[in-house]
Amino acid sequence: MHPLDLAIIVGYLVLITFVGLRLAGRVKTAHDFFLAGRTLSWWVIGLSIIGTNIGANSYVGAAGNAFSIGIAQANFEWIGAIPAMILAALVFIPLYWKAGVYSIPEYLGLRYSPTVRVVAALIASVVSVFAIGVALWAIALTLQTYLGWPIWVGIMVTGTIVGAYSIAGGLAAVAFTDMFQVCIMFLGGLVIVGLGISHTGGFSGFAETLVVENPDHLQAYLPADHASYPWPGVIFGLGFVLSPAYWWASQAILQRSLGARTQWDASAGMMFAAFGKILVPLLIVFPGLLALVMHAQIEYPDMALPWIIKNVLPPGISGLMFIAIIAALQSTIDSSVNATSLMLTRDVRHVLLKNANPDDDLKIGRLLTLVLLLLSMCTAPLVAEMGGIFTFLQTILSLFQGPMLALLILGAFTRRATPQAGLWTLISGVVVASATSYAGVNMLYVAFSSFIYALCALWLLSGFTAPHPEKDLSKLTYVLWRRN
Amino acid sequence: MDLSHLPLSWANYLSIMGFVCLLVLVWLVPRNIVYEDAPDQSRWRDIRLWATILIAFQVLLYGLFTR
Repeated sequence: MHPLDLAIIVGYLVLITFVGLRLAGRVKTAHDFFLAGRTLSWWVIGLSIIGTNIGANSYVGAAGNAFSIGIAQANFEWIGAIPAMILAALVFIPLYWKAGVYSIPEYLGLRYSPTVRVVAALIASVVSVFAIGVALWAIALTLQTYLGWPIWVGIMVTGTIVGAYSIAGGLAAVAFTDMFQVCIMFLGGLVIVGLGISHTGGFSGFAETLVVENPDHLQAYLPADHASYPWPGVIFGLGFVLSPAYWWASQAILQRSLGARTQWDASAGMMFAAFGKILVPLLIVFPGLLALVMHAQIEYPDMALPWIIKNVLPPGISGLMFIAIIAALQSTIDSSVNATSLMLTRDVRHVLLKNANPDDDLKIGRLLTLVLLLLSMCTAPLVAEMGGIFTFLQTILSLFQGPMLALLILGAFTRRATPQAGLWTLISGVVVASATSYAGVNMLYVAFSSFIYALCALWLLSGFTAPHPEKDLSKLTYVLWRRN
Repeated sequence: MDLSHLPLSWANYLSIMGFVCLLVLVWLVPRNIVYEDAPDQSRWRDIRLWATILIAFQVLLYGLFTR
């Protein structure tokens, strides 16, 4: 390894730890720990949302997919994110903000029932532990590749650094370190774009080669009979269901919005993040296209990014890209740990343990952050050995997305949806989604069909079940765009 | 329902329609919700304008990358 690479890596790790620990002094209560004392400004929120969103699969997986299918991969950043983010900023964040909740399961609990709150929190928490395990494993592999560290050392070092600032500084530390990490990611991405384009004879050379040799790689939509990403599935499944379900209900994403200093900052932060999403394909799609133009001889598409780092970046700069990948993974881990700790501390503990003392939330939250990290560090090698488990859990989570979105939409825009109908729709919606998934239907269509089913079921069942007390709904629903 | 024979050009028409509907929805959001808690009433703080720019970018990108 070039000494400059090593200096960049060490400098990054010291800076992130220092910034995170500096914010520890601000944490006096659970409100400070979980919501940063509601002090975050819009630009910190926006950058932190991007950092949380770009995860383990984004860098390596998206570049590999772009190598295979081209610019269509950018749908996950554009139509599969931006419209939902705009509506999150203008519609859902103001609603959650006025409801005064700490979490999305808490909103669902108020709007429907405590059972719905616990179910939503537990599903998200279990998947999160494995997702953190995957991210830890990915960092350890990267550290092994570049520095030759044994896997267990990589897991321990990463877990210790992330744990130190997450446990001490809570959401504020997580958000501010995310902000630095996103800046590093974009810097690394821009260096690849600049050097890559100069390697291929300038922008015209790059574009000409791509257009002449791979014209289909410049199509945003793939044919309706495409096996993985048919355009009707992308528009209806991704654009109308999976993306809104993620951007309107992901606790890891929305927690920084709930930690904003004002409602305006919360909404503007999400909108700012949407501007960042327009540029994200430059970081994660461009390397795949570059490998294609440079005729990379690789065995698997996922090797596109490592090939670019090895063949395009000069010594001394490859360390920057290495740090960008580590930063992407770390920002996902710290956000997931903090969000999961919040859901277990409040949404599960407060409901299941009737005598839970809210004054203990800070202590319990910190303890759970530590336990979650240790648990994820233990599951990391298991996840790698039994990758099927994580895929299974991700599938389970995606089965909930359609029904969960139906609950959110009818819960937010009508007073008709009832507590009992909400619970039964959630359960039966997952059964419907599982059945269609088992029948071999593309996941994008599974999401859409389960969403349509859940909308109809919730509407109909609400006609036969006891309504939510009217007085409790005033801060939880919109009526014709006017909050009551 | 077999969707695999739908022509590719419909994707572009549908997404443009979707963006237009989104733009209408954005401007249906009342001003008081947009400026809630805002430190001042400056024009740049109207995030409906930010949304409009974002939607324009989307239309441009999908116009560029679809047949």
